[in-house]
Parts: sequence; C-alpha cells; structure tokens
Amino acid sequence: MTKYIIRRSLGLIPLLLGIVLVSFTLMKLAPGGPQSQFNQNPRVSEAQVEAWLQRWCLERNPTALSVVREFGGWLGVYNCQTDSFLSERGGLNILPSFMGGGDNGIIKGDLGLSIVSARPVTDVIVERIPATLILTSAALIIWVSIAIVLGVVAAVKRYSLFDQLVTFLAYIFYSLPTFWLGLMFIFVFAVTLRWVPAQGIVSPRNWPPFNTPQYWEAFGAEPIAAVLDVAAHLVLPVTVLVLVNIAGDSRFVRASMLEALNQDYVRTARAKGLPRRMVIMKHTFRNAMLPVVTNVALSLPFLFSGAIVTETIFSWTGMGLLFIEGVNARDYFLLMGLILITSLLVVIANLVADVVYAIVDPRIRYD
Amino acid sequence: MPDTFQADGAIRPAGVVQPAPSTLEILAKEAGTDDFEVALESLNQWQLAWRRFRRHRLALLGSSYLLTMVALAILGPILWPYNPNDIPGVKTPGGDPPTLDPIRNLFGSDFGGRSVLQFVVVGARISVSIGLFTMLIATTIGVIVGAVAGYAGGRIDGLLMRFVDLMLAIPFLFVILVAARFFGGGDPVILIVIFGLLFWPGLARLVRALFLSLREAEFVQAARAVGVSDARITFRHILPNALGPIVVSATLIMAGAIVTEAFVSFLNFGIRATDVSWGNALSNSKGYLLQGNWWWPFFPGMALALTVIAVNFIGDGLRDALDPRSKA
Repeated sequence: MTKYIIRRSLGLIPLLLGIVLVSFTLMKLAPGGPQSQFNQNPRVSEAQVEAWLQRWCLERNPTALSVVREFGGWLGVYNCQTDSFLSERGGLNILPSFMGGGDNGIIKGDLGLSIVSARPVTDVIVERIPATLILTSAALIIWVSIAIVLGVVAAVKRYSLFDQLVTFLAYIFYSLPTFWLGLMFIFVFAVTLRWVPAQGIVSPRNWPPFNTPQYWEAFGAEPIAAVLDVAAHLVLPVTVLVLVNIAGDSRFVRASMLEALNQDYVRTARAKGLPRRMVIMKHTFRNAMLPVVTNVALSLPFLFSGAIVTETIFSWTGMGLLFIEGVNARDYFLLMGLILITSLLVVIANLVADVVYAIVDPRIRYD
Repeated sequence: MPDTFQADGAIRPAGVVQPAPSTLEILAKEAGTDDFEVALESLNQWQLAWRRFRRHRLALLGSSYLLTMVALAILGPILWPYNPNDIPGVKTPGGDPPTLDPIRNLFGSDFGGRSVLQFVVVGARISVSIGLFTMLIATTIGVIVGAVAGYAGGRIDGLLMRFVDLMLAIPFLFVILVAARFFGGGDPVILIVIFGLLFWPGLARLVRALFLSLREAEFVQAARAVGVSDARITFRHILPNALGPIVVSATLIMAGAIVTEAFVSFLNFGIRATDVSWGNALSNSKGYLLQGNWWWPFFPGMALALTVIAVNFIGDGLRDALDPRSKA
C-alpha cells in the first residue's frame, strides 16, 4: 500500500510540471503583458512597478529568453534579483532557504502578486476560502445525503413510480443551465416572494463585508444573528447547487446499489431468511457505498475551487467569483495561481480516491 | 448542468423505452409470414437502428424540437435581420412586459425596447452552430486520439493518455473562460475552435477503453487472422461496434458546448455585443431581473434549456438504437 502511494505520487510529478507549463503558457500567449496592467493601477507608484518587474524578471519588451527566465523565476528555479540560478544567500535558488536557497517561486509557496489589489496572490486566495468553503461544503453534504437516500430507495423499488419520477426530475435538473436556473430562482424566491435575499453573503445594510476584521468584530457581538444572516443568504445558491448536482450522484448510487443487489451474497442472505431491512442495510448498502465514497472523494476539489457559475449569479465572493474577477482584470499571477491550486487539488483528489478505495474495499490489491 | 461538465456523466431515464416485441415477431407480422430468414435479410444495421430510434418517443420529440431550432438558425436571421443599432425605446423603464399584440413584444423587450422574441429567433444561429460544430471538431479529435491510443497501445498509448490526464486535471471552465476572454475577441468561429480543442479529452478516454476491449474481441481476432488490414479493422470492424457510446458522448458534448457558450457570453467574455446568441441575449438582464423584469432572461434561457434537454433525449434514443445488442 505504502509502495503504491509512493509510486503514484512520483508519477504525478510530470503531470504537475505539465500543469505548471500549460497555465504559464496560456497567460504568456495572451496579448498585453502584466506590466501594462501594473501601470494601470493608480494605487501603485512607478518605483513599486520597477521593483516588481525586477523581482519577477518581467520585461517591458519581452523576448524569448526573458520569457524563459520569467518562467524560471515564477517556478522558483531561477532568481531574478541575482539574475542567475543562485539565490542572494549564495546557494542554488531551488533549495529551501535554510540551505541557502531563494524565497521566490511557486515551489516555495510564493504565487506572485495580484495586480488588481497589489497584494500577494496567496493572501488574496486565502481570504476567499472561508466564503467558498461555507457554500460548497453545505451544498456537498446536502446533495450527497439526498442523493444516497434517493438512489437507494429508487434501486430498492426499481421501476416503481418513485424511481421513474426521480429519474425524470434528475434528468431535467441535470439538463437545465445552472446560471439560468439561478436567475429564475432569484426572480421567484427573492424578488417576487421575498423569502430569501437575492445575492451576497451578508446583508450589506446590517453587516460589514464578509471575512473582514470588522465583520468578525460584529460577528463576536451578535453571533446568532450573524449566523442566521449568512444562512438566509445560503439558501438559494445551495439549493441550485444541490439540484444540479444531485442528478449525477443519485444515478450513481442507484446503479451501484442495483449491482450490489444482484450479488450472490445478497441472494444468500435472503435465502437464509434474514429480515429484508437487514439484507438491504447490512449486506447491500455497505457494499454499494464503496464506489460512492470514491465518487465523493473526486468531488473534493470543488470544496475549494468553488462553483464559478453559482458564485457569479449570486455574487458570492468566493474562489469562483475571484477567478471571474481575475479574468475580467487580466490579473495574470492570480489566474495562474488559481489554475495551479485547483489543478493540484484535482490531482490529489484522484490519488486520494484511489487510496480510499483500496482502504475501504479489502478485495482491491495494488501491489 | 453541473458546474463542471463531464462527457461521460451520462444520465439516462430508465423505463422510457417500453419492452418491445422481438424483431422476428414484428417482421413476421409485417411480412405476414412465418419465414423469418427471408424477412431478416431485408434489414441492415441502420434500418434496425432507425426502427429502434422511432420507438423512443422522447427522442423523436427532441429531434423535432432540434430540427425546428436548426431551421430557426438557418432562416431566422434572414427573415428577421437583427440590427444592433435599432433601439426603439421602451414605454416601461427596464423593458416592456410581454403582450400578445404586436408580435414583436410577444416575449417582451429588453431595457432598450429590443424584442426578446427576436433574440430567441436570431440567437439560435450562433448557439446551435456552436453546439454542432464543437461536437464535430471535438468528436473527430477524440475518436482519432482514442482510437490511435487504444489500437496502437504501448508507448504511443502512454504518451497520449498522459496528455489526456493533463487536459482533464486542469479545470475546464477556467481554461475556457481565460481562452475566450484573451483570445476569443467576440468571434463565434474562434469560440468554436477553442471549444473544439478543449471538449475532446473525456471522449478520447472513452474511445480508448472501447478499443482496448474490442481489440481482443473474437470477431476482430478472426478478421486479423484472415489478413484484414489495420485500417480496415479499425473502421469496418471496431468503430461500428463502438458507435453507440461515442454518439451518446457526442450529444453530451453538444449540450455542454451550448450551455458553456451561453455562460461565457452571459459573462460578456464570449460573443461580441453586436451579435446575438441565447447567452448574450440575457447577459445584461441580471440587474433588471431584480426589478421584476423576468421575461428578458426567461425566454432565451428557456430556448437554451429546451435545446439541451432535446439533445440529451436524442442521445438517449440513439444509445438504445445504436446498441447492436439491444432488441430491435
């Protein structure tokens, strides 16, 4: 098992290098360099821009060589201050700083500078994680639980009216465009019925912007009211996310459950006269959940990468909306950082899914 | 559609297709004879497939809807030319609500008094063509890459599949948005190329898996034993048997492309503002929606949603029809 994990992890290195290369190339091919974006930010002085250009090997008129240098600097192999592979401390730049290496580059966890806010990309991203995590984890927990219940009941009562209804509704909601469903929900439940707020994370009239120091101060003063306020704003986006995602997972649970129901050990359990409930819950359900666990593990990157479409429609200032803002402002370092982090999460989740499967299913051997 | 599109996340209603009488029974009844063999010879694979497809009511309904949309896509902009500079103005601020009279305002108007009905009619051209052409490009690439990988095996397979892994690891919507914003320039043709180049990896993986299993099938081994060439084995023996899953994936790609274009254009990263697609028809509607102006986003979105549902139904019908093992 340990051997398998190590072998798989090593296999990921070329994949990660590929991801790094693709996200960098994508940004470099785009017309208009980051320099011009720096210059457009009125809060930034000319001296600061020069310092940034220097730190990231950015040239006002990039050449092929300068782009390669820039990539090396962004990766952390090259040091732009000393203009060599050696860091200011004298060691190879790629080494950890206590061994004389440099501090720059994504290898060291330095994702560069967000152009719009003139702050480190890492800070900008970390700041958005709580909002996204609240939305996505609430949605994921709800849709997985409902999908399991619906899938199991539909499988046990196969071809019943309930089964066909679930199938049909799942089909419809799966087909509906998420952003349009979101807009219609806003119109019906927020504008017409006025049951819940239409957008945002907190009510702007009563609360400071979410996740600012002022917000947490106000939160401390009235925690219950604050939680209720966020909960009210959660209702619509979570409902939309649950409805569009439930389809796939409930079908998956149903298929997995049907397969387990056809196994010989289930027939044996029935034949020896075990109560139906026990056959379904103990013999079938637990085995049917194995692939479902893997499937949920594959959804985990979504927790952090956020839901671009849903966050945009509901102005939920999380990671998804941050990405849209980045695309709008052509915030190069921010976009590269976001693509990198999300791809990394996808890759790790794939590995975790395989490993979890091996752990929960004793029949699987990877040696 | 979920936030991330999966080409292989097929969701199909069960029980839509009624258990049908066997081919032999039908043929015997139609021919009025008990001589099954004579009747069977007159039907080839495609005739059997069409017979099965016709029995799938929802798929037929979807086909007729999609054909209507294709007709709209071809004729709409000719019969009712769209002029982005023609802003007639409104009686109610934020847009006029739908009225039966005159026909221009059947679906209401946007904030400038432009007819939402016209958005739906004219927008069909870009939305449907992006779906169709993306499907063609992505399916072609996916089938070629998957077939080569699955049939050749070895190092070529490893290399191609590592590339597919890379494409699947990078969040698809991220790349689409960046590419559309930075390289798209509002041109539908460029958007089709971007989509076509990004939608294929899931299909390639599927085709590879199909080829891997079919390569070892007995009829392929038999063909190889009598000395049939690789190309002929691929196209005449393996591909027809893999057609069902490929076609279903292709319809999912089409549905995904139509929705993605709509979302990208909705964010104003897609089609330029002087053109109309269903997505950018409703791109500026959000602010007015909060004032209760529902018709503006509703109708273009409805056209979009129905098209996606229709395409999914067609895919479902085709899957049943093209499966060589399913009963006729």
